Amino acid sequence: MNVKREDRVGIAVFLTPVLVLFTLFFIFPIIYLIIVSFVEWSGLDTPAFVGFQNYLRIFNDKVFIRSISNNLIWALCAGFIQVPLAVLAALMLSYRPRGWKIFRTVYFFPKVISAIALATLWSAVYNAQYGLLNGLLRVIGLGHLQTNWLGTLKTAFPSVLIYWLFYIGYYMIIVLADIQGIPQDYYEAAEIDGAGRIRQSLNITLPLAKTSIVTCILLAMIDGLRQFAEVYILTNGGPANRTSVMVLYLYKEMQNYSYGTSSAAAVVLIAIGTVVILTIKNTLGRENL
Amino acid sequence: MKVFRKTLVLFLCTLFVLSFVGTVAAQKVTLTWPCIWVGVDSKAETIKKFVDEFNREYAGEIEVIIEENSDYQAYRDKLRTAISVGRVPDIFTIDADIPLYLESGRLLDLTDAFKDGWEADFVEGALANSTVNGRIVAIPYEMGPTPVMYNKRLLQEAGWDHFPATFDELWQCAEDLKAAGIIAFSQMTGENAWTSMLWYSQLVVAIGGPDVYDNPNHPAFVEAARVLKKMYDYTTIDAVGAGAAVSGGHFLAERTAIFMNGPWYIGRLEREGSNNMYEHVAIAPCPVYEGGAGSQGGYIGNPQALLAAGATDDEAKAAAAIKFLKYITDPDRVAELSAASGALFYVKSGELEFEMERLQAEMVEQVNQAPYIVGHFEYMSPARVYNEFPMALSGLVLGELTPEEFVEQLNAKR
Repeated sequence: MNVKREDRVGIAVFLTPVLVLFTLFFIFPIIYLIIVSFVEWSGLDTPAFVGFQNYLRIFNDKVFIRSISNNLIWALCAGFIQVPLAVLAALMLSYRPRGWKIFRTVYFFPKVISAIALATLWSAVYNAQYGLLNGLLRVIGLGHLQTNWLGTLKTAFPSVLIYWLFYIGYYMIIVLADIQGIPQDYYEAAEIDGAGRIRQSLNITLPLAKTSIVTCILLAMIDGLRQFAEVYILTNGGPANRTSVMVLYLYKEMQNYSYGTSSAAAVVLIAIGTVVILTIKNTLGRENL
Repeated sequence: MKVFRKTLVLFLCTLFVLSFVGTVAAQKVTLTWPCIWVGVDSKAETIKKFVDEFNREYAGEIEVIIEENSDYQAYRDKLRTAISVGRVPDIFTIDADIPLYLESGRLLDLTDAFKDGWEADFVEGALANSTVNGRIVAIPYEMGPTPVMYNKRLLQEAGWDHFPATFDELWQCAEDLKAAGIIAFSQMTGENAWTSMLWYSQLVVAIGGPDVYDNPNHPAFVEAARVLKKMYDYTTIDAVGAGAAVSGGHFLAERTAIFMNGPWYIGRLEREGSNNMYEHVAIAPCPVYEGGAGSQGGYIGNPQALLAAGATDDEAKAAAAIKFLKYITDPDRVAELSAASGALFYVKSGELEFEMERLQAEMVEQVNQAPYIVGHFEYMSPARVYNEFPMALSGLVLGELTPEEFVEQLNAKR
């Protein structure tokens, strides 16, 4: 396509602000991060170059390794449990049952609320002494299952993860919008051929909504890798670092006046995120993204 | 022509007024103070009063603006980040990692300001806490002794008319409380594990003596861990993962009988304690550990907060900061602040007749009689070590770590 000279000027003018902002708030911080990952710096003194020492330190730290595994579990659960739940909800709402608009709003509403507020709410739900969950278990005769959900080694991480998985509103809305854009002709033709709703969903809706579904999987997995607020509020990585995640780890390194180690952890997080994105892109097909 | 002249005169007058305003504005110095003594903090109301009075007294010359920070950890993060990018606040408090800040070179040198006799306002030896290489770079302000606080009414229900003097007695007391359906201790492993950290600090010194921190491998650290783990047999079921609000909340609601905190908590006992529990609260030093090197009446305490000003080349700003620091460390004002909040300070009491609050008076008496006052574990350890304490403690309590492994995990961070 031949671009006229005057068009090139226009394109440059419109792109420049975005490029400047992108460079300032994305490229430059990443470059700065990489540089700081090779120094020892408390934030109060002068940085000292230490080579790969920070990387060696974090990979020898069991807490960091656990953080990576927790984040990968979180990302996989987000992509392959949370998103399918969202797709299921979107499918059901696409048939517009009675009150579907109310359900749509209710499912999406938590997305409007701050993650910190939700986590604070759930910390009260999970509280061992006066929490709603233990109270409910007592009422229904399952009092023997009561425990300190956030303070027990086996239940802490599942407790932090599970409640979050049910907040499907954001992905549901994306998939629902895509489903509602599918021409009705396909469904009419399928109905004439005798296909029921389930067959229509499997053979028409899901294939045609695949782009949005794959996009949601990608977004959900990235979100799983970036987790911080929920863990910080609910457990702060405890008990015994069992619920530690990478962003919390690098935040704690900053609290330890170790900006170099913190930056190294951040660089590793970026690298892992890049690998996840490329893997999904290549696994689920280039044409879908 | 007339219109032109009128317009010109109006323009010149406007210019004159604006330049005058600009001049006045340029002469006024603004000091920002990211302050943690806000909200429910017992010092908040009085501090605000002092700042308002200062601003009125120096109207047009100096204005102090408080930036509210109600969360201690968030405040420390903000302070550290601001200093690391070269934006040191005009006025601020330091309550953690004090040596790092004192040696950073980012604090205003106050040495010359003390030449006019300001030092006489402080208790003897206090300024040593904020002097680096002979230069005074901060002001020791709030003092932080942390005795045991206990509910006499609950202890009486369990058959105890005095606080246990030894740890053997303390275990018996805990058992008696349990039999009476009362939980003995408030503990917490969440956030910075403050309450449990204070108990650990008491235990370490009670077992190892006042010089225990000279040797990070002293056996007292392991034994203290063993004892602290046992204390968790007599605490609430939500202690693992609990934060300060939960731990303190149990004591305020009289669900637990024994707590540990500093004089700044006295105001909250009065305001938030249920069933007039404040009337039944007393304080005591840590019990003696049988066979330990600690002494009866030994205390844990350290500078709870230092006041500092950011280093600056602006002489007017530096002078204004010093003026404000002198204002807020005036003995009469500090006496008022102490009476209102219960907190204790390194500034000598002033002439104003404020009746010392009951618990505060008990604390002062015990501190004066204490054979030693040793800094708590957080104060005596590097940031990496005390930041690891909550995680290691939860591991210890949940059986994932032995006391030896607990200490190893902490020392690995040194």
